[in-house]
Amino acid sequence: MREFEYLRPETVEEAIALRLKHEGCSVLLNGGTDIIIQLREHLITPEYVIDIKRIPGLKKLTFSKEEGLFIGACVTMNELGDSEAVQANYPFLAEAAYSVGSKQVRNRATIVGNIVNASPLCDTGTPFYVCEAVMCIASRDGEREVPIEEFITFVRKTSLRSDEIVVGIRVPYTEGARGIFTKISRRKEVDLSTICSTVLRIKDSYRLAFGAVAPTPIRLPKTEALLHTKTLTPELIEEAAKLARTEVSPISDIRASKEYRLDVVEVAVRRSLERFMQGGAA
Amino acid sequence: MKYKVNFYINEEPIELYVDSNRTMLNVLRDDLCLTGTKEGCGAGECGACTIIADGKPLNACLVLAPELDGMHITTIEGLAKDGELTELQKQFIKHSALQCGFCTPGFLMSGTALLQENPNPTRDEIKTAIVGNLCRCTGYVRIIEAIEETAEVLRGGGQ
Repeated sequence: MREFEYLRPETVEEAIALRLKHEGCSVLLNGGTDIIIQLREHLITPEYVIDIKRIPGLKKLTFSKEEGLFIGACVTMNELGDSEAVQANYPFLAEAAYSVGSKQVRNRATIVGNIVNASPLCDTGTPFYVCEAVMCIASRDGEREVPIEEFITFVRKTSLRSDEIVVGIRVPYTEGARGIFTKISRRKEVDLSTICSTVLRIKDSYRLAFGAVAPTPIRLPKTEALLHTKTLTPELIEEAAKLARTEVSPISDIRASKEYRLDVVEVAVRRSLERFMQGGAA
Repeated sequence: MKYKVNFYINEEPIELYVDSNRTMLNVLRDDLCLTGTKEGCGAGECGACTIIADGKPLNACLVLAPELDGMHITTIEGLAKDGELTELQKQFIKHSALQCGFCTPGFLMSGTALLQENPNPTRDEIKTAIVGNLCRCTGYVRIIEAIEETAEVLRGGGQ
């Protein structure tokens, strides 16, 4: 690791001031499970590392049916997965959080970090896409909220400005919504997604999001429109699975070929919808 | 620039000045000569550097040295008390749950953290607790059995 100055602000305001002061040469440190590797590999060489973990309030994790779920910036994967409110109301999100890395990694890695990192295959991305989660962002001008689909703009790119900090994610609650999370990876544990997806059913409409099949996680609007207000049948599921395949644009990489990913998108759509048809989703 | 950190290692208070660009693992091994904690991959994948921080297993390679400030760390050196091995350590020996031994401290820390949190784990819970630890010699069955029997003995039902 190159040398850098380690800074530990105690308030969000102080963190923002440090971001402004060291614009272009600082990086935020949260759980660190990606940043420390990037520092070690010299993929990033900041002059300042701003550790936001000890800022009081960023550990906030609250739920109510009216307000939905709020996940503070420093909530870890395990803290989210272990939350009874999350298990009861967003079980597919808990499952996605538990699918990341190992127990050791999940004790450090944060949900917000997973999103801000903006990897196309971020495991917690697709549950947030189908729930239409909103990123809560603070700057010296106050707070703004950005829908997650507008927040992640490209591979490892977000609309976060250099003087801003994500303070949390707000996840709306929809009565009766049911979700299915799928992660397909080369091995079951401690692996990155080859593809991941979440299918959400709200009454008789569906929302589908996929990761690792495009530069960002994506929703599948055509497939959603096809399924809208229809009763699931084996024929409809087959049609949806084939259509889903046309809405993604995966690449070949170290984990899988483009062709494999296209096939697996079909499989994930089919299996998720079949589970809904059989009434098996939590 | 050096950063002053105050923390506890195996219940002993420590005050050190550390560089920002080093990890907790470097501090443990190089500054404190606690070399029981191993470096395998250095990237949070192998679990050889697992320690328990504030009750939770972490990879010491993924923590910057200045972050140590205020932490309570248990390393493999903190398990045995007055020369008496812990039950889990005894069970690793009984089950021959190791061969070269490089991964063993990490497994013992993951196993210890699990049993502190959940004295009655299922086999699946044991597996989940050790997915972040790689063993390249013995395999995992004996390790799982050692953790299982430790739980039994600690519950008072051992053979």
